Amino acid sequence: MLRKIIHGLALILGVTFISFLLMVWFGPDQTYTLIGKHATASQIAEVRHQLGYDQPFTRRYLDYLVELFTLDLGASNSSGEQVSSILKRTLPISLALMLPGFIIGNLLGIVLGLVAAFRRGTWIDRLITGLSVTGMSISFLIIIIALQVLLSTPYGFNLFPVRGWRVDNLSSYLTYVTVPTLSLIMVTLGYNTRFYRAVFVEESSREHIRTARAFGASPATLMGRHVLKNSLVAVSTRIMFSIPLVVVSGSLLIETYFGIPGIGKVSFDAITSGDQPILKAVVGLTAVMFVLIQIVADFVYRLVDPRIA
Amino acid sequence: MKSPRTLTLSTVFASDPFEPGPKGSRAWYKLRQDKAGLFGLAIVAIFLVLTLGVFFGWLGQGWSVAGGGRWEPVSVDHWLGTNLLGQDIFQRAVFSLRTAFEIGLVVSLLSTLLGALLGVLAGWYNGEPGRTWVDGGILWFMGVLDSIPFYLFVAAVAYALQGWPWAMHIAMVATFWTTTGRLIRAEAMRIKSREFVLSARAIGLPTRLILLRHVLPNTLHILLVQATIAFVAAIKTEVILSFLGLGVQDSVSWGLMLAESTQEVLAGHFNNFLAASLMLFMLLLGFNLLADALQDAFDPRQASL
Repeated sequence: MLRKIIHGLALILGVTFISFLLMVWFGPDQTYTLIGKHATASQIAEVRHQLGYDQPFTRRYLDYLVELFTLDLGASNSSGEQVSSILKRTLPISLALMLPGFIIGNLLGIVLGLVAAFRRGTWIDRLITGLSVTGMSISFLIIIIALQVLLSTPYGFNLFPVRGWRVDNLSSYLTYVTVPTLSLIMVTLGYNTRFYRAVFVEESSREHIRTARAFGASPATLMGRHVLKNSLVAVSTRIMFSIPLVVVSGSLLIETYFGIPGIGKVSFDAITSGDQPILKAVVGLTAVMFVLIQIVADFVYRLVDPRIA
Repeated sequence: MKSPRTLTLSTVFASDPFEPGPKGSRAWYKLRQDKAGLFGLAIVAIFLVLTLGVFFGWLGQGWSVAGGGRWEPVSVDHWLGTNLLGQDIFQRAVFSLRTAFEIGLVVSLLSTLLGALLGVLAGWYNGEPGRTWVDGGILWFMGVLDSIPFYLFVAAVAYALQGWPWAMHIAMVATFWTTTGRLIRAEAMRIKSREFVLSARAIGLPTRLILLRHVLPNTLHILLVQATIAFVAAIKTEVILSFLGLGVQDSVSWGLMLAESTQEVLAGHFNNFLAASLMLFMLLLGFNLLADALQDAFDPRQASL
């Protein structure tokens, strides 16, 4: 446990250092966007002081670490809004946007992977693996554009809004979330199915599965109780460790494309405009989330596999 | 079921096509049996020939000329019509092949190389008294790079190296090598305990030579598969970066064409979208099928099937 925490701290230090170097030290300078063209030298110096640009590198980096550990994240440079309130506003939107697709994509991947692994070598297996490779070869952007044209424009079925996020009740949520969710499922399903199929094939070629099969276990018990249950460590690892990246990286493209004000879009805008407090918070908290997941993962492993003590 | 390295009569008489001896020829034999893999290889080969045509200036050279009207339909002059600016879509789609291969080759070569070197070092120094910090340090570095949200990292690199056309390549190489690095590290740890490496150490061969002559060459099969996978990942990432405005500059790519088309499709003009998507899809499919076939061909566990 102590080792885990030390490793975690080293990871957080590394992530924050690299991203600080890239996004803050070499990132955009906001002095002139904030004060306009005709500024005196003293005004410039004052703004730079307010933004902390006049401090030495180590000082600014240490300040960042203190901010992160006290969760005192400061205010956005551009809007003046507190970063914590921005996160509180945008995180639920991103979760509401990404979770349905993430869950359905993984569940479908597990089911298809089980079917393919159980019927290994038959036409069903070949069909499923063939479709996964096809899915893996289609770009995220193509899927989004095609689904948008097909479902949201007069050239297709014209059922859903083209873009945006005006959600106040369940039915408006469903109209805005459907196209992004379908896109996310289609993008991830190929990769998920392949990964889970490989895990299940590996597991089902073990001796105890052959024994269970020989004793006449039904396909459902075989795949459910023996194969799936014994693969839970690999399955839960994949799901847990993809959560932070799905929330931040995955939502970035979907939110930018559909104009949805979630955490991905806010952090992307922060990069291009140089809004450093937001960036520092998003990157730092993602690293913290990874470390927390690593700690939680140990408990989950013990839960799903009693052999791990 | 028998392990591929067992010495049997048929490995001695390697001419028997069903049990060829050395790893390379067995893999080549299996690759030739794999219809999907051959299909993938054929697609990649055709695209490669077309790319050479673009590279030597025979194809797609008019990609930036605005020689037609806005959104002209398919015609003899413009085989796939024109875009918003009156540029020929066919020429642009073909010229983009060069962009795609350039990005794919640069990123896959460099990231595979970096992953191979750091992976071998980490694997070699794992458990080596006094030197485990090398392994620990490299592992830590991989963990750090894997924990930074990818598009934010790429966007930040693109911004920090603003205007420099290689910013995108650098960002991809910096993040793609970790997967290869982990695989090579695991393989190097396995190879390290094999007899030929132990004897090389026993006769006092310098570490550098052992790594270069004995360990790295035995990971080539992993490197080949990883390079194809990185190629696919690089092209897919280019599309998204170009859409976000962080990708290709002063040239044309399928990503830029798709980015243009996001506005056009809402107005009912699909030529740009269809041309770029189909080319992109075919190339990625070819490489994915090839990567699968290579993986199967080199997989030692399937050797005796």
